[in-house]
Amino acid sequence: MTNYCGYMGKVVLLDLGTRKAENYIWTDRDREKYIGGKAMASKILYDNLTGEESAFDPGNLIVIATGPLTGTGAPSSNRFDISSLSPLTGITASSNCGGNFGHYLKKAGFDALILRGRSETPVWLEIENGEFLFHDADALWGMKVSQTQEALQRDLDAAHGGSLRCGMVVIGPAGENLVRYASVMSGERAAGRAGMGAVFGSKNLKAITAAGDAIASVYDKEKAAGHHKRWVASIRSHPLTGGQLPRLGTAGLVSSMQMHGLLSTRNFARGQFEEFEAVSGEALAEELNLGNNGCLSCPIRCSRRVPVDGKKVKGPELETLVLLGGNIGNADLENVCRWNRELDELGMDTISAAGTLAWAMEANEKGLWKNGLSFGETDKISQVFDDIAHRRGIGNELAEGSRRLSEKYGGREFAIQSKGMELAAYEPRRAVGQGLGYAVANRGGCHLNGGYLVVLEGLGLDVNGQTPRGKADFCMFMQDLMEAISMSGQCLFTSYGLLPAFLVGKPNSALTRTVNAVIPFLGPAVRLLNKVPEIAFFQLPLLPYTYELRYATGMKMNIGRFIRCGERSYNVERAVNARFGVSAENDKLPKRLTDVPQIPGRPDTKVPLEQMKKTYYRARGWEKNGLPSEKKLRRLGIR
Amino acid sequence: MVTVKLFGTLRLDCGVRELQLEAGNLRELYPELCRALQARRPDLELTEMDLRWCLVAVNGVRVGPRTRLRDGDVVSFFPAAAGG
Repeated sequence: MTNYCGYMGKVVLLDLGTRKAENYIWTDRDREKYIGGKAMASKILYDNLTGEESAFDPGNLIVIATGPLTGTGAPSSNRFDISSLSPLTGITASSNCGGNFGHYLKKAGFDALILRGRSETPVWLEIENGEFLFHDADALWGMKVSQTQEALQRDLDAAHGGSLRCGMVVIGPAGENLVRYASVMSGERAAGRAGMGAVFGSKNLKAITAAGDAIASVYDKEKAAGHHKRWVASIRSHPLTGGQLPRLGTAGLVSSMQMHGLLSTRNFARGQFEEFEAVSGEALAEELNLGNNGCLSCPIRCSRRVPVDGKKVKGPELETLVLLGGNIGNADLENVCRWNRELDELGMDTISAAGTLAWAMEANEKGLWKNGLSFGETDKISQVFDDIAHRRGIGNELAEGSRRLSEKYGGREFAIQSKGMELAAYEPRRAVGQGLGYAVANRGGCHLNGGYLVVLEGLGLDVNGQTPRGKADFCMFMQDLMEAISMSGQCLFTSYGLLPAFLVGKPNSALTRTVNAVIPFLGPAVRLLNKVPEIAFFQLPLLPYTYELRYATGMKMNIGRFIRCGERSYNVERAVNARFGVSAENDKLPKRLTDVPQIPGRPDTKVPLEQMKKTYYRARGWEKNGLPSEKKLRRLGIR
Repeated sequence: MVTVKLFGTLRLDCGVRELQLEAGNLRELYPELCRALQARRPDLELTEMDLRWCLVAVNGVRVGPRTRLRDGDVVSFFPAAAGG
């Protein structure tokens, strides 16, 4: 139970082996410290994992957690999080998803679901109004994602004597066959990164459905409704959240990335792709886009709809467009749309699948591993993806990801991963703060968990991407802010609306250029805020999240507390990783990015990682080994 | 003669991918481009300042406002973009 609104007040631990459920103690004090979502999941992993487990052990946990704003009508508040030990990285991972499962998990009466153990046989789990029902999944095993979803909906409708509104998470063949970067799908949206689908598969869990009649209460309905209205208006009038994202989607970044040298090309060998226009957001909008779509309660509607094989399906996001475009030498947009659909249907992360493929192409060209794959040769790729999902032939090896392959065949210097997870689409040698983020990110080569500094370094604002000055402090600040946004259940894209429209809307104005020049020198001020966020003991309309949390939950919230919650989340995740052997030595990038300049003769076009790491650890108050001390954990209230 | 390419929401607003214009430098290009776009779409709410606020690249390289242009250059205009 809870005294706070917004929450359902119930977290359940379900053993898939014994099929027994028990309430998991999660107090209001925990809610104040961790809010929900990813932070809540990290704390649960911290309290339950010892460091002895591995991803496919029955002892590994899957935590599916929602935030308090989900279901309250707050804009873009439909995200949920799946956390577990990752089979790709061997450490903790969180995978965030915009599908509707979180919304329906709350309607079923739960803030979070913790799964442990392993079912003897394939099962799917039905949750309805606080009750659990296990169903045999033999007939579903082997099915692709949409086929599974349709079969489940038919079964549920038949059992309920009519159409049942529900949320689902399902895995495809990739998850069943333990592909290390298998995704979990909710509708057409993916919890894509770090192999959560394979953890489902290892537990013989094909799907979970959730339905119910519970309603998340709102503490101050009148103020909340007024705030939603103002915030939605602000989102819709902003040049990014109301302009570029709904009109071009995330794909709209391709051309800007090309200009800034950030467009990963031929396995990150270069930052520009000659044929980028063919696989750009503009081309997608003009040639294939059939409309845009959005998650529940989201006014941004950034998702694309494209035709594939006569069906109208979800279009590729930026990461997919770049990594299955120039990064493998492909300039055919329809190919990318088709592969995107195939990967979703097989239940595989498009980023890691594409990154592993690019590594394999280069390894083949260099003669390290004769696999028949080459840059620009696209005929075989659909078959290769199917082979990966079913672990056939070279697909069985590609299913292991680029780190393991490079350890086997050589070519570590061009395995574009960090902590085992393939990097997202931004080439970091022209945005070195983004490079720092990739390296130190708790879950590995993730653009978002790393703080997404590229939003300051060219995509949004245009701060000098080559200077390390101030980047470590901004990296910490952005990481903590994004953690806090994520744990409340909101989409990180709302944060682009925090960038003042008069700056980002006029990227070449004298004022914007001045701000860009000044930002690197603001490191000390940001460090002060990072160190003592309590100095921001107030709320500001600039940061609407604190108002939203206060009105929805009744929890006391200001900017300082919000940022501190983010810091706590980042540290607790790091503390779990420490048990699994992570330290400063693991915060690294492949040599291609740290030792080889992107532009020959320009030594500044590589990532000065070691220099920035030292500053970053100091900013975080961590030890030289890159870990939070006992004292630090106690000070944050984690221990 | 230079080739002007438009990107992002600017391209969607103007309904133009690229066009050819005469200009010796970027300063001359802004008003020329504004006039050319308005001639194609008289209902277009576009000012010269809107173009000056865009980031500009010549032959794929970011440039400042005083850049001189040569025959055959490709000048690309990028409005605000973020979020991936």
